[in-house]
Amino acid sequence: MRNKKRNAALLMAATMTAATIAGCSGSGSSTTKETTAAPASSAAAETTAAGGAEAPEAFSYPMAAGDKLQYWCDLTTTVSANYSNLGDTPFGQGWQENTGVEIEFLHPPTGQMKEQFSLILADGSLPDLMEYNWTVDYPGGPEKAIKDGVITPLNDIFAQYCPNITKYLAENPDIDRMIKTDEGHYYVFPFIRGDENLMNTIGLMVRQDWLTELGMEVPTTIDEWHDVLTAFKNEKGCIAPYCFEYTNGQYLGADPFVAAYGVNRSFYLGSDGTVHFGATEPGFKDYLATMNQWYQEGLIDPDLATLKNDQVSAKITNGQAGASMGQAGSRMGTWTTAARATTPEFTLVPAPVPTLEKGGQAEMGYIENPFSGRASVAITTSCKDVERAARLMDWAYGEEGHMFFNFGVEGESYTMVDGYPTYTEQILNNPDGLPVSQAMSAYIRGNYNGPFVQDIRYLEQYYTMEEQKQTPIVWGQCNGAAHTMPPITPTSDESKEFSTIMNEINTYRDEMILKFIFGTESVDNFDTYVKNIDNMGLARALEIQNDALSRYNAR
Amino acid sequence: MKEKNVRNTLGYRMKRDWIRNRSLYILVLPVLIFYILFHYKPMYGAIIAFKDYTPTLGVSGSPWVGVANFTRFFKSVYFGRLIKNTVLLSVYSLIFGFPAPIILALLLNEVRSKHFKNVTQTITYLPHFISLIVVTGMLTDFSMTAGLFNDIIAFFGGERSPLLQNPDLYRTMYVASGIWQQVGWGSIIYLSALAGVDQQLYEAASIDGAGKWKQLIHVTLPGIAPTIIIMLIMRVGQLMSMGYEKTILLYNPSTYDTADIISSYIYRVGLMEQDWSYSTAVGLFNSVINFCLLILTNKISRKFSETSLW
Repeated sequence: MRNKKRNAALLMAATMTAATIAGCSGSGSSTTKETTAAPASSAAAETTAAGGAEAPEAFSYPMAAGDKLQYWCDLTTTVSANYSNLGDTPFGQGWQENTGVEIEFLHPPTGQMKEQFSLILADGSLPDLMEYNWTVDYPGGPEKAIKDGVITPLNDIFAQYCPNITKYLAENPDIDRMIKTDEGHYYVFPFIRGDENLMNTIGLMVRQDWLTELGMEVPTTIDEWHDVLTAFKNEKGCIAPYCFEYTNGQYLGADPFVAAYGVNRSFYLGSDGTVHFGATEPGFKDYLATMNQWYQEGLIDPDLATLKNDQVSAKITNGQAGASMGQAGSRMGTWTTAARATTPEFTLVPAPVPTLEKGGQAEMGYIENPFSGRASVAITTSCKDVERAARLMDWAYGEEGHMFFNFGVEGESYTMVDGYPTYTEQILNNPDGLPVSQAMSAYIRGNYNGPFVQDIRYLEQYYTMEEQKQTPIVWGQCNGAAHTMPPITPTSDESKEFSTIMNEINTYRDEMILKFIFGTESVDNFDTYVKNIDNMGLARALEIQNDALSRYNAR
Repeated sequence: MKEKNVRNTLGYRMKRDWIRNRSLYILVLPVLIFYILFHYKPMYGAIIAFKDYTPTLGVSGSPWVGVANFTRFFKSVYFGRLIKNTVLLSVYSLIFGFPAPIILALLLNEVRSKHFKNVTQTITYLPHFISLIVVTGMLTDFSMTAGLFNDIIAFFGGERSPLLQNPDLYRTMYVASGIWQQVGWGSIIYLSALAGVDQQLYEAASIDGAGKWKQLIHVTLPGIAPTIIIMLIMRVGQLMSMGYEKTILLYNPSTYDTADIISSYIYRVGLMEQDWSYSTAVGLFNSVINFCLLILTNKISRKFSETSLW
């Protein structure tokens, strides 16, 4: 019976794929029709094949009333600014209406997701669905989470109840590989960035109005950067020409100046197809030497290790700094809007990853994977009605759900203009005076994350300034995607050993990098630094990464 | 004879005690429950230091690993530095931080103007009520190259530098800000002890020709010595138990050299990396040292003075 059901589901998936290829895709909300049609035909097929076995009923959204499901997720700040629960938002209500599933949203206190997650596990009473980074943040990895009996493997569930995601994965084999464990288990309904321009969201930015005034071009090489920052210091009186918080992991991992030297601060995929640790490679020494020189010359913020976001924002907007790095939305956009109140000519433009030689293209650069593990939903072993939970989640990967997650409610938060979903005034010019990011967060999840495929058309409208719209192109000028580590999954024993080793190495590395930059440690001692890291067991850590990588490649 | 025996049985004595002191027992009950719930019950969880703890298996279900977690800490490259930083930072806090409230209390005690005394007391208490996160935020801002401290340094002809990125200055900043925040609050107990010193003794001393200084040495200090010693013992008992909050708010990788202490290390490893067993082992090790220190100080104190905790 079980096998028959699976066959039926496979058949269903096949029918769906065929139907879409035949030209149903892109025609607005066709998923409902498909999902109703597909099971019917597969049911018919099964009846003929199996001769009167129990046929699955025709399925369509919204589902009939049933169990209330508990859904645990972080409440992002742009939502929590106006709502205390995702269920209160038009998004949360619309999601329940459209799917027919009653959801009880549970949220950890802001910034305490990991701690709360540990507590929930220790307590044992798991919500039905949990949105978390199961790939990276479950100690021991996703396969361990399955073995520990925390989450349910999804292979059968995908095949039986999830035509939409099954179809998506069949069309995108590279993503299919990313969201599996080495053993071939699916474990989450993933958050996927649906376009490569959604993956390079962090980069350098520089004051265009100053460059124009000084008769300079947007710098593209390390030498040009040196000249520009020197000019900012001497001509514009900057006390911190280049300014960013040097302890924020998110920005450090994306540091374009490190990338200029063809390395990375941590692990990356080398051109030889193996995993490298950038912070001990020769290029990194050159990076440190340059940073040390810039620091001595007063081109970098002297307080770089104690800076926080507020101070960086203040320095950029009041003209104490002329260049920084970060996101096009929350930094470039926010800063420009804030600074123009007093400095109307204030303009920040994106700068590409610098190179050493003029005219080249950088090899490294910050490009995320389409699937990073973040904000992906697992069905826990406590869930009683797995089918209901699975169908709820699968909806987002169909045409109707995709539009809803990215654009919200047609006629309310968006309208179709020549086949292009255009946000309404409600979002872009909110009558209650909400910023775009908060107005969006009430209706959609497309502007942050969640279990769905993110649509580039959100970003095209979220970026309102011309400079912002350039960022994906300018920041994408590198071969970084080839060097981003795929979401590999070390085994549980490996990951324990790995984190023990890397904990010591990372502490030492972070400490030494700052010492080298400040000059309290001479860059000539780089070899001793490398030797110390080797002694901490870097070789073993690399071996673990490479083993996991070869298992990943073999998936 | 027989009756006396009955009276001496434990049950009888307990019953009598209960009847006599019932209200006292009821009074102490909430405190007792608090300690049992929040201090004794969690001790059971400390056994995960000897286990490979996984939340889903629970405390009792996780496999035993013996002292592996302890050996890992002892073998860690940071072991020496963590111990050194923790000890130095607490010893400095003790040496400079312990006498400060006593001195303040003695000074306040000599002030004759009641108005001035009250104002001073209020001003010195106030920092105690400022949240730690605000204090460290102020400290971070003031220490920046363009901050208040550097303005002062520059005014006196010094050179501006990022103070909180200098490992050599970290301990000074930590200890000094601690004193600034706690000195007024800490002086309260000494002020109350001072109020209890018999005024006749001062009179007698001044008749014998003792000046203010001699009175301080021979009357005031001996009068509050028991309080000082009890406070000292308790303080030494907490010598190694430095909270992580202030450290993680003040430090950054460039000051790890002098700033990273056992509790901040536990925070990083245990809470951020979810390595519960290991961090429990480190914490347990810390508590054992604390316990030994407490017993030691108590012994010393009992030997050299008549005051001790037990």
